[in-house]
Amino acid sequence: MRSVRRVLRTAGAAVAPSAPALETRPVVAEPPRLQRAEPLEGGEVRVRRVDGDPVVGVAAFLDGIQESRVLAHWPGGIPLVGGTVAATVRRRVGRTLVAWRPDATRVEHALFAPRAALGDAVWRALADGCDVRDTGDPDEQGPWHPLELTARALSAVQRRREAAETACAELWCAEGDGPLFVDGGIASAGSAAHSPLAIGVVKSHRTLYVDGDALPRVLGLAAGERTTAFTVASPRRASVASWYLRLRDPAAHDALWGLVRVEVALLGATPDHCDLVSRWLLAERQPVSLPDPRWGAMAYGIRLTEEYLRALTR
Amino acid sequence: MSIGRVVATERRPNTPHEFHFWTALGAPVGIGTIVRVEGPPTGDGQLVSIYGVVVEGFSYTDLQTPLHDVLGADGDPASAVRAPTDRTEIRLYTAHSLRHIPDEPRQPVPMGVVHLATDADVAIALRMDGYLKDGQRTAIPVGIYRSGAMQSPVYLDADFLLGPEAAHLNISGVSGLATKTSAVEWLLSSIFAHFPAQKGSVAAVCFNVKGPDLCFLDQPASKLDEADRALYDALGVPAAPFPDVEYFAPYTARGYSLATLRSNEALSHNVRPLSWGLNEVLQYAEVLLNKDDVDAKADALIDFIRERVVNNEFTDSILERAHTVRSFTDLEQWFRDVLRAMEGRNLESWRTHHVATIRKVRNRLTNISTRCRGLVTDDGTANDLPFGAFRDRAVYVIDVASSEEDAQDLIFARVVSQLREQLERRTLGVDHVVVFVDELNKYAPSDGPDTYVRKMLLDIAERGRYLGLVLFAAQQFRSQVHRRVVGNCGTALFGRMDMDELATPGYATLAPATRIKLSTLDKGQLMVRHPHFAQPVFVRFPRPAVLGGREGMEKFPAEPEPSLEVAVTRALRTLDPSVTLEWVKQAIVAAPEDEVLRARNRTLQARPEDVKACFRAQFRGRAKAEPVRDRPASFPLAGSGNDDPYSF
Repeated sequence: MRSVRRVLRTAGAAVAPSAPALETRPVVAEPPRLQRAEPLEGGEVRVRRVDGDPVVGVAAFLDGIQESRVLAHWPGGIPLVGGTVAATVRRRVGRTLVAWRPDATRVEHALFAPRAALGDAVWRALADGCDVRDTGDPDEQGPWHPLELTARALSAVQRRREAAETACAELWCAEGDGPLFVDGGIASAGSAAHSPLAIGVVKSHRTLYVDGDALPRVLGLAAGERTTAFTVASPRRASVASWYLRLRDPAAHDALWGLVRVEVALLGATPDHCDLVSRWLLAERQPVSLPDPRWGAMAYGIRLTEEYLRALTR
Repeated sequence: MSIGRVVATERRPNTPHEFHFWTALGAPVGIGTIVRVEGPPTGDGQLVSIYGVVVEGFSYTDLQTPLHDVLGADGDPASAVRAPTDRTEIRLYTAHSLRHIPDEPRQPVPMGVVHLATDADVAIALRMDGYLKDGQRTAIPVGIYRSGAMQSPVYLDADFLLGPEAAHLNISGVSGLATKTSAVEWLLSSIFAHFPAQKGSVAAVCFNVKGPDLCFLDQPASKLDEADRALYDALGVPAAPFPDVEYFAPYTARGYSLATLRSNEALSHNVRPLSWGLNEVLQYAEVLLNKDDVDAKADALIDFIRERVVNNEFTDSILERAHTVRSFTDLEQWFRDVLRAMEGRNLESWRTHHVATIRKVRNRLTNISTRCRGLVTDDGTANDLPFGAFRDRAVYVIDVASSEEDAQDLIFARVVSQLREQLERRTLGVDHVVVFVDELNKYAPSDGPDTYVRKMLLDIAERGRYLGLVLFAAQQFRSQVHRRVVGNCGTALFGRMDMDELATPGYATLAPATRIKLSTLDKGQLMVRHPHFAQPVFVRFPRPAVLGGREGMEKFPAEPEPSLEVAVTRALRTLDPSVTLEWVKQAIVAAPEDEVLRARNRTLQARPEDVKACFRAQFRGRAKAEPVRDRPASFPLAGSGNDDPYSF
């Protein structure tokens, strides 16, 4: 980002002092909600113990990171946001994770700003020195609320990160060998959503795919138990098979602690396959991914992949 | 082969003298490993290489607290072993720079690639390239530096080991691990094999101060395995005992045999007595006399005796007769005569010496032969080291292990003084002499009285290198040796060390990991400090190719003190193998014991062609004992056989 700051300084922008990442700022999140999903195993969501002991099956881990900061301000309160996104696949060899192949690691540094607000001359000056991404709507005219512009930049960075993750997931599903542990859902991961290799593991639960009757059963899952599978469908995403799996006993934690929602391709999502995938995920409970605060639901392989990406981008 | 990368952080930056690097988990790197860093080229395109030795190692994972691991394994260690992914672990090493190329400008070590040092790298890193050059080679192998599968010889520079640039060697290590003595035996073999001819000749004088440690240097080792032989081959040193060894030991107090554990008759051919008379001892009387003994008055009298009495015909009007003092017996007679004359004339002083001073000096001097019985003879006979005829590559072992402390001090003082004087005059027979002294903390302690022996050791340490007099000294606790003695040792070897010793300030310059390694060294491992090495290095040396003390005692057990006849027979046999016990019995029959011993000593001192004649000659003046001749079986009866009627 030093080179981007240099470009901004040359272009005449007021370069901001070092600021915290936008990702750490409190954001107004969409409200938590329950959403009914169509059961795949039987007529309703039920609880079942995962058959068999945990077994190592995951061949690789995919994760992405993003970091964005307001680097400078353009006259008129226009924030110029520097964003870094990265995604990679780390393959398991023995008991260690290694880089899979060079093109399975993607790192991008770019400046995110509304082109219309800056004007073409400034835009071209910036584009000459660094990669610049437009965060504005070409049909929209100002004035703009600075926080709105910042939020748009943050969304743009997030989209770039998702795109990088999708590219990596598609690459593995096309040429990789063995199950891929994807941090997050796979429904928006392009062709990977239909691949038998991709396993999406969702740790956040703002939307719970259960109706009122099934909710106590999901929240009451004990460690090593899962729900029966259901379909998660969305107009702009691929439909995938999903189920809830309790990785760790919540004990003194809240009811969502240690709970993940697993996504796999609809095709082939038989109860046995769901059990097998669950056993793979249960095997990934060790080693614990502390000190990450999400350690209750986070696999250590994902933590390592994140650390790898941080080492690359910092 | 690259094995790591240099890293530096703000909290732990690199300096010109210290750098950090990480390696793969299985990299063959440990404390003491020598590495080469290849940095980016300098502005003028010159390649930068930095050589370093690893002094510290760290390993850690991304675990923030051990409790996290417990949590992850649900408190079950077996469960942690089953984890599908190992925690990320780092092996981070700290190295101290050995050498920068180019030398200037001396900059912090760059973020380069780290390689294991090859043979050539080790030579450059330790600056051995300067003395390994053909035609200027002065390299003495000290051991093998090992790293993974690599084995590189490490050499000391003879100019800095035996002089004249620097000299002396000090060895420290705990007792019982056969490191100190073994290292010296090995290093002497190496010196004898590699000391360059153009530098002159070299011999060694070893003081055996305890047990049978040095008693079998001429006997082959009983347990030299293939690994040891491979080391000998790699270092170009013959795996053989010393071919030219002579042993010297004083007699026992009884005087029959020598006070040494090398008393087995099979090994007696090169064991010689060490005995001195008044002439040899008087010069070193102060070794045995403390300050209370030798005040100014006593000192003046001793000087008077030394200059006017000993070896001169001394006459004085008050004395009964003329005296020529050549032995302690003569000296005692002289003292008696002087004191009798003074008492007879009621004199309080004689020639300015007070009667009390004379009595005191008489007591102290004549007491020497009692205190050093076995070493100092009353009759003046002497058997000494072959000063003036030292041989190149010969080892002279002086066994003082069974001697009293006073005798040990006297032996040490006189031998070293003689070596020094003869080296100064270039009359010793060799150009360099290595003097090996074990238990240096006893002879040159850091505290305690300023003894003659300590002064002498200081003198060797500070000035010996100009003369070719080189001190190889060993001790368990280096911190207890006088600082100037160890400080003047150009080369230092360290075997396994005691942790308490390592906690003393003298070791503060070593990294903690290096100190820990020192406390856990195996037999045959040494840490070497040498003037050319910017940092100490660890080497491995082979077992000595000589029979160890313990094994030697099993193979050649010491024999109990023999009878007088047997002792004399054995002593004379070293000069003439035809001497038999029967012959000796006949030769000494009816002679008093002290006379027999004196005869033996004089014969050994003279080393005559005709040993028997010389020995017999010592008893002239005494009626010869002759065997009874056969008498006729009967006498003829008177008258029988003749016709004389009046005969019986």
